[in-house]
Amino acid sequence: MIAMLLSEHASGALVAASSSGPTWLLVLGPAGAGGLYFALWNYYRNTSKSHSFESETRIEAKPVTGQDTKVNEIKDTKRSGIDGANGTAHRTRVQRLDP
Amino acid sequence: MTNLPPPGEGAQPPPGGGARPPANDTTVGPLPNPTANPTIDTRNERLGDGVNRCPKCGSTEIQLRPSVGMLVCLFCRHEWAEARLDETISNGDLTTLSGTTMGSGAANIDTGAGSLITMKCAGCGAEVVVNTAEQMGARCHWCRHVLTVNEQVANGAVPDAVLPFAITHDAAMEKIREFAGKRRTFADRAFVNGFKPENVVGVYMPYMVVDGNVSADVVGSGEVETRRYTRGSGDDEETFYDADVYQVQRHVDFTVDDLTIEASSERGQMNSALNTNNVINTILPFDTENAVKWNASYLTGFTSEKRDQDVDKMSPLLENQLLSIARSQVASSIGQYDRGVRWERERVQVHGTRWVAMYLPVWLYSHFQERDGKSMVHYIAVNGRTGEVMGSVPVSTGRLLAAALTVGTVIEGIVIAMLGASR
Repeated sequence: MIAMLLSEHASGALVAASSSGPTWLLVLGPAGAGGLYFALWNYYRNTSKSHSFESETRIEAKPVTGQDTKVNEIKDTKRSGIDGANGTAHRTRVQRLDP
Repeated sequence: MTNLPPPGEGAQPPPGGGARPPANDTTVGPLPNPTANPTIDTRNERLGDGVNRCPKCGSTEIQLRPSVGMLVCLFCRHEWAEARLDETISNGDLTTLSGTTMGSGAANIDTGAGSLITMKCAGCGAEVVVNTAEQMGARCHWCRHVLTVNEQVANGAVPDAVLPFAITHDAAMEKIREFAGKRRTFADRAFVNGFKPENVVGVYMPYMVVDGNVSADVVGSGEVETRRYTRGSGDDEETFYDADVYQVQRHVDFTVDDLTIEASSERGQMNSALNTNNVINTILPFDTENAVKWNASYLTGFTSEKRDQDVDKMSPLLENQLLSIARSQVASSIGQYDRGVRWERERVQVHGTRWVAMYLPVWLYSHFQERDGKSMVHYIAVNGRTGEVMGSVPVSTGRLLAAALTVGTVIEGIVIAMLGASR
């Protein structure tokens, strides 16, 4: 019954939406369902949790040194950020240089 | 605090674009004391294998009293504690650490050495066998004396130090009940029906506690936005960006104190599709500076898991963690790159490390789940010192789906009603 009512409303709403624009609003239902499922699943299973050794270990570091050299300019790109950004992904390993 | 030029003021990149050390490279040079003894003797020479008596009355009925962190004689109630390991291995200046130093309890495991140790009872002469894979003491079946394993053996069962439980069984039970109680509604019914927090077990888990003197370099690209503008109008409007691209190099020297790594190959396997070992990892860190010299009486009434990893095998994992720490340390120096940084190459130079094998206290509640031919053990773990708790509670997929579909349907209904009203 509820499904029938919803589908009836949905078809009408789709017609209205397609004429007035915001059809993307219709994805809110499935997105909300999926979001709730994974949020609850993570709350119960905690599979992404681990020891934050980067911040929870006693570390004494000297001041960071280095260089910044301008090598290029980018014009007219649609990308809002650098490709492959990993500045905050501390545990993502990249090519190792020999010691 | 950083010592960096603003973007654009650095030197030109080298031909070919290869990585090179920063101009103001502060790589640690030759370190003093290069002939340091690679092994520190951490044996508790006051104790041996077999009968170890109360220093006051001579009874062998000794166990830990977690509420005060002391050993207590169950016969005369005398309380005492072993000396802290820090009194044997002084931290000193970690920037002078060089080479690989390890405690005698962290020495390489003799693969030929078994877990079973036979001790001769000093009370009656009987021979008593202890399986050191699970426990470090046993009661003589003839005279009832308690025998303990205290001499460092080649099978890795006796570490350099032990950090005694400070959280009692009752307190751990309460924490597990509270943790699971918050996750009851969508939990698997078998978990809910079989939930008995009194079954929590105190386990001493094997870890390596590592100090390090390290340098690290990272090289990559960073972008700074110089212009943002739009083209087109209405639905066709698009945003475009201009940016300056920089080669970014960073160098950092640092020391780590008591970085803690699992020394059991099984517990070190963190694969959330197959196990819930990450839960036990999450309750780190421990106050390892309060660890005491080995005395197997601290383990009476608890179980233990034997170390099966050597320093050599654990070194790659250590380097991995040191690189993560280095990347974390340099993160504050790249804030000017508002379009982000992509690190491409990295290097770690480990000038010196010091490894200490340690048993650390964990309260473990476990639930065995079998579904669709796959099995998994879900743990709820409590840090035996700090009380930090983390766990994995198996979910009831049906309940979770029902909740998600209900909420999704309500949201969709509201959206459809809104769109219908605007018709």
